[in-house]
Amino acid sequence: MGESLPLDRINTGAVPATPLVEATLSLVQDLVRNRYRESGLSWAEFRYAGSDRLLRKEDFAAIERRILDAGHRFAWSAVISVDERPEAYVPRAGDEQAEAGFAHPEAPQGEVEADGRAVRGVGDNVVRQQTNAVGIARYIRSNERVLTYLSEGVPRGTIAVIDDSGGTLTAPIIEQFAGVICAGGTIRSHLGILTREYNIPCLMNAKVAGIKDGDRLMIECSAAAKTTEDYQQGVERVARIWLLTGDAEVRS
Amino acid sequence: MNDRDLVFHGLAVKRHAAPPAVASLVGIDAARVKSLLVEAVAGGRAIEAKGGYALTPLARLALEGRYSFHFAPLRKNEGFVAAYESFERINRTLKQVITDWQTIEVAGERVANVHTDPTHDEAVMDRLAGVHEQVETVLQALAGPLPRMRIYQQKLLAALEAAEDGDREWVSDVRRESYHTVWFELHEDLLRIMGRAREE
Repeated sequence: MGESLPLDRINTGAVPATPLVEATLSLVQDLVRNRYRESGLSWAEFRYAGSDRLLRKEDFAAIERRILDAGHRFAWSAVISVDERPEAYVPRAGDEQAEAGFAHPEAPQGEVEADGRAVRGVGDNVVRQQTNAVGIARYIRSNERVLTYLSEGVPRGTIAVIDDSGGTLTAPIIEQFAGVICAGGTIRSHLGILTREYNIPCLMNAKVAGIKDGDRLMIECSAAAKTTEDYQQGVERVARIWLLTGDAEVRS
Repeated sequence: MNDRDLVFHGLAVKRHAAPPAVASLVGIDAARVKSLLVEAVAGGRAIEAKGGYALTPLARLALEGRYSFHFAPLRKNEGFVAAYESFERINRTLKQVITDWQTIEVAGERVANVHTDPTHDEAVMDRLAGVHEQVETVLQALAGPLPRMRIYQQKLLAALEAAEDGDREWVSDVRRESYHTVWFELHEDLLRIMGRAREE
């Protein structure tokens, strides 16, 4: 049913040997297809002249970005590769990179209070719970991490920190979370609907900063839920997120 | 679309699913789906966990790159695109209806709906039936150029009828093909076909 270009016809044979080759080939073909369609040129014109002008270095950098954003890290044969671009290559042994946390410019930041808690952000509560939720912050932004959790199980007491309000990435494991902090969406988003259904504490549209992977958190899901009317009328109604420092009492 | 891409597409829509579930969505025999998925696992394109399969990140990217080939005719089909745009409008209502099904105002505050107020529940069910009437028309229009859309018609109707018959879990339960589960998959399917991103 596709729109067949010569490049589509030459590739109806065997599947490429590795997933990386298949993904790269597919994304480059997608790029060519889109640029060709937008150009209005004939295939011959596009191939001989248009493609030099219309396919740019940035387009290929964007393809590499998508591959890295999907969680892939390239294998390296010389150490200099990983030293120069640690974000693109498989880390050297014993040299795992720490995940950089969200840093929302409007996230409220509090001093450590007498009980050891410090405000690190706010979010829209999807439904009011009896008590606040306590758990360990774990950023879930790569498919790799989801796949690991899917096969090995999510560590108990995980508060997932994510930015995917459609729950596209996390849906298969959502059930196992002790709480969810989502940097996007609203209480009506698919993720909001899912977490209410599972009765998992969840804050949407969260503005957080200063939360590292592995930090112990409390989310104020006992606060009033945000409503549709609040969004329409611009009412500020937020639940807080606290970092629990070493001596914080867990009181919910 | 070839069977491999159709199965991968079905798996991308469902995200983590067993072969029969993918088979019923894309209309390919379950044994054939299974063999393609087993092959996908061997080639690093999928993983198997807890009886279900999921695409690996690179396999998902590769699939998404081929959408501009597979779905070019649908993206240019005015009737299909108009029906899709209608779906997006109805989708906003549906999400509000589901949210209102899950929550209820008690003493001026929104709390979890424990379904002890039949008046509230019936009112929401009526709105859901209204949404369904609208989406039937849309699915009819989508199924013209893309017949496999009919499966959503059947599944949505089955969930609605089960809910109307008194088992309210069929509205939004996530562990079954409830109205909301099927709706979400339909939305995901359409977003992929159109090459669009989710709004909220």
